[in-house]
Amino acid sequence: MTVSPIGREIDRVDGPLKVTGSAPYAADYRPEGLVYAYLVQATVGRGTVRGMDVSRAEAAPGVIAVFTPFHPLPLKSPSGESGENYSALQDTAVRFRGQIIGLVVADTFERARDAAALVSADYTVTPSRTSLADAGPGVPQGLVQKLAPGVSSIDAALASSPVTITTSVSQHAHHHIAMEPHATTAVWVDDQLTVYCGAQSPQRAAATIAARLGVEPAKVRLICRYTGGGFGQRSPVWNEALLCAAAARALRRPVKLVLSREQVFTAIGHRAAVRQTIRLGAEADGRLRALSHDSDGELPAAGGWQMMPGRDTSAVAYRTPNIRIDQRLVTLDTPPTWSMRAPAEAPGMFALETAMDELAVRTGVDPVELRLRNYATEDPVEGHPFSSKYLDECYRVGAERFGWSRRTALPRSQTDGDWLIGMGMASALYPAWRQPASARARFRDDGRVAVASATSDVGTGAFTMLAVVGADELGLPVSSIAAEVGDSALPPGGVGAYGSSVTTSTVPAVQAACRAAVKALVQSAVDNPRSPFAGLAPATVRYRQGRIEANGRSVDFRTLLRTMGVPHVEAVSTSAPDKSASQYKFHCFGAHFCEVRVHRLTGEPRVNRFTSVFDVGRVVNAKAARGQLTGAIIWGIGHALLEADPIEPDGRFAAASMADYLVPVHADTPEIDVHWLDRPDPHISEFGARGLGEIGLVSSAAAIGNAVFNATGIRVHDLPITIDKLL
Amino acid sequence: MREYRFERPGTVTEAVRRSGSDTAYLAGGTTLVDLMKLEVMTPGRVLDINRLPLRGLDATGGGLRIGALERMTDVAADPRVRLGYPMLSQALELSASGQLRNMASIGGNLLQRTRCGYFRDVSMPCNKRQPGSGCPAIRGENRMHAVLGTSDSCVATHPSDLAVALAALDARVQLQGRDGVRTVNLCDFYLLPADTPHLEHDLRPGELVTGVIVPRLDWAQRSIYLKIRDRQSYEFALSSAAVAIRREGDTIVEARVAVGGMGTRPWRLPAVERALAGRPATSNTYAAAATATVDGTRPLRHNAFKPELMQRTLIRALLELEQTR
Repeated sequence: MTVSPIGREIDRVDGPLKVTGSAPYAADYRPEGLVYAYLVQATVGRGTVRGMDVSRAEAAPGVIAVFTPFHPLPLKSPSGESGENYSALQDTAVRFRGQIIGLVVADTFERARDAAALVSADYTVTPSRTSLADAGPGVPQGLVQKLAPGVSSIDAALASSPVTITTSVSQHAHHHIAMEPHATTAVWVDDQLTVYCGAQSPQRAAATIAARLGVEPAKVRLICRYTGGGFGQRSPVWNEALLCAAAARALRRPVKLVLSREQVFTAIGHRAAVRQTIRLGAEADGRLRALSHDSDGELPAAGGWQMMPGRDTSAVAYRTPNIRIDQRLVTLDTPPTWSMRAPAEAPGMFALETAMDELAVRTGVDPVELRLRNYATEDPVEGHPFSSKYLDECYRVGAERFGWSRRTALPRSQTDGDWLIGMGMASALYPAWRQPASARARFRDDGRVAVASATSDVGTGAFTMLAVVGADELGLPVSSIAAEVGDSALPPGGVGAYGSSVTTSTVPAVQAACRAAVKALVQSAVDNPRSPFAGLAPATVRYRQGRIEANGRSVDFRTLLRTMGVPHVEAVSTSAPDKSASQYKFHCFGAHFCEVRVHRLTGEPRVNRFTSVFDVGRVVNAKAARGQLTGAIIWGIGHALLEADPIEPDGRFAAASMADYLVPVHADTPEIDVHWLDRPDPHISEFGARGLGEIGLVSSAAAIGNAVFNATGIRVHDLPITIDKLL
Repeated sequence: MREYRFERPGTVTEAVRRSGSDTAYLAGGTTLVDLMKLEVMTPGRVLDINRLPLRGLDATGGGLRIGALERMTDVAADPRVRLGYPMLSQALELSASGQLRNMASIGGNLLQRTRCGYFRDVSMPCNKRQPGSGCPAIRGENRMHAVLGTSDSCVATHPSDLAVALAALDARVQLQGRDGVRTVNLCDFYLLPADTPHLEHDLRPGELVTGVIVPRLDWAQRSIYLKIRDRQSYEFALSSAAVAIRREGDTIVEARVAVGGMGTRPWRLPAVERALAGRPATSNTYAAAATATVDGTRPLRHNAFKPELMQRTLIRALLELEQTR
């Protein structure tokens, strides 16, 4: 008898490989004849490369080739969704500081790097526009508006409200800094290209590479079996990987390109800087009459992701008769942007939940009670009911676990020696997204079942998710499942590892594939003349926990396959949301509670403890879920207290290294109590999982900011909340 | 990184003799190797001094003599340092990370280069790296930069925590060069940038730091190093204070005070020491003395908070020191 592994604490199936260093990442492949590439980047913010002197680099020991706009590698222009809107080296334009203007290839990494430093460029410089703060309002991109009958405008609704709050917040660029720096190993065999490159969506990435190189999609295979973090920056293919593949084609030998940490900050997209204004209109008891959310997000001229922080936050969070979301984009000469974990929701909910805390202070209503008074049971704009929402329970359970009742509303009223103690809370939400997905299940004659889907495990636990769901569906131990992801050659239809959607989308596909594979196995057992079940009607043959049973005989599938002389029996299935899903609004929810301390003299803000309760549907693996939620809350500490990369007038990032761009270390990370309600979503899928990779980050910064206010009476609107702002 | 010759001299004399203008000494490598990778430093020859007999911590005759190749971790853990000079072990333990402290040497710590982002980026001008090229920090991102000892050509902060504590303790630096050995006061060892920010130390060509002498100071047993920073570990100081107090009853008889994160070199504050001496050990005294810190500060656009933070750091250090009694 096998106990279902669903929801239990399951170790990562890829854990031993990772901790022993034997899981191969993109830079670990060493094909025969490998040579090494290194980037040359522009050192001016905008203009034209007039000329480049590559003579010293070409003469340097071991150098094989130097590619520049004057000696380019052919690449097609991008089309459709892409990180950057141009192909590197195809013209002499400099669009931002850090743009790739050269690629040096040599026989060792060190020689390529050292020769790259010998390349010099002359520029014609034109002035850059880089400051979001100095720019006026951007171009409106997405207006969402709903006004109650008889209300002429949001301004009128606000003006007639007894209480109004106006809050403006801002944040600089953020960087993903995945643990694995961007790396590509490109190998051509005749006209067939294999690219080893971390990717969130191996099949989309392979298609992009094929299109940009001008070859048939079938000619490109992308392998990202292990990927050291995605967070959004590995969803598009960046120019660096394309150049590596193009160099390998031009030189007719394998090429590897590994970016330095510093290069990743500019050659790969960042989270856009954004400034936002929330205006709330409320009754004296805190009930909202009007909510206005304006944003201006950085949009690089070189291309990038559109920062829309109001759409999935303020338009969803609270019951409000009047809502207006005005999302604007400001074109700047900055390095490209791309989505970054809770890409718009983290900044958007920081703004909204900061404003809600200010409303709580103004009205004297407890912050939890204020949120309950404005509780939405349906999408406030579209009117669709939520598929499943237990946020009220998150508030109650969270407040209890945290001890919220011990909070005093008056700032500076609690101390611990010379430390001011403050408590804050915030609500979190994140869209739940189920994409059509496909998976393959394959009974193998080695006694294991391979469960595969062409998604990517970016460190989140997708391998283990496939194994757990496959084991549950087939009644086998987790160790009997061989999970496969990260290869574009797997059956079409794997989902990208973004939008917290891999589990939500792939679990139903795995279940369908396992059921279809069982059916195929039974069919094979009755069809195959060497099978002990040959000639039986399929309906009389039963699959149970890895065994085929009929007429009192029971054979395990390994023995059956060997007896039949069949190496494997498989099925591929695709699973998509029901049509009825369009009636519902799918969201995950959560409530954060935190306690901070701020030194009364020197102002250091430190997080003492954190409690968060989530409503994320059904959880596949408790261990992986806790890891994801805890990790995202730690990101929230960075968002609130540390992370910022200011950009200078000439387009230079001022903190483009891990020495200058601070992320939390262990000493900044307190005890984090993560809890989730075990309530499957009945409408998203039969299984009921809604995805939880990002929601932990949403609003954790707001909870910290609200706690800092409670500790000090100081409201910091421009992130991060640093010592200088608390003196 | 550029190609370089790697040599391993067998004696201090040989090391000093082999050293030249294009040479760098390699101890722990935690600064040098980073800067070589960034091509901020491009020595043609690297002399590995790790096998030279410059280890050892000696406390005979009062005071301490710390060999230049002693590792930060070991010095911080030494009971003679912990008990006799707590501010030294605290300054060391609040520096860098455990891994770096295991590698980094005491001599190298004193010679570490500034963390100014423009100094470390060879695509930018920097008067310290390339004399006469300009200083982008003065009008640029200068939140971490210095407010004391700056000039119109450089505002880079000295990054060492250890040097701040040593400055408070009147430490001396032992040097060996081609012309023999000499000892200089640590405070004089560091040069102000003026219009020659590329000259950072009183070091003659080829001269090697061989050790540090901490004069005997019995009342340094009651001392503290307080470091204020954005991140709780593995981060340089926005502000720091090394403080020792000698009290008789409730009266402060003598004080040693130096601050970090503020100056272009470790900054001793004799005016604050004078303002403390002879006064009662009360928070009023501390607050009054701390106001003497702001004399001569030159704040920049993003670090205008630093003089205020320096005062508060100092007051807090004095209060916490009082509580350790």
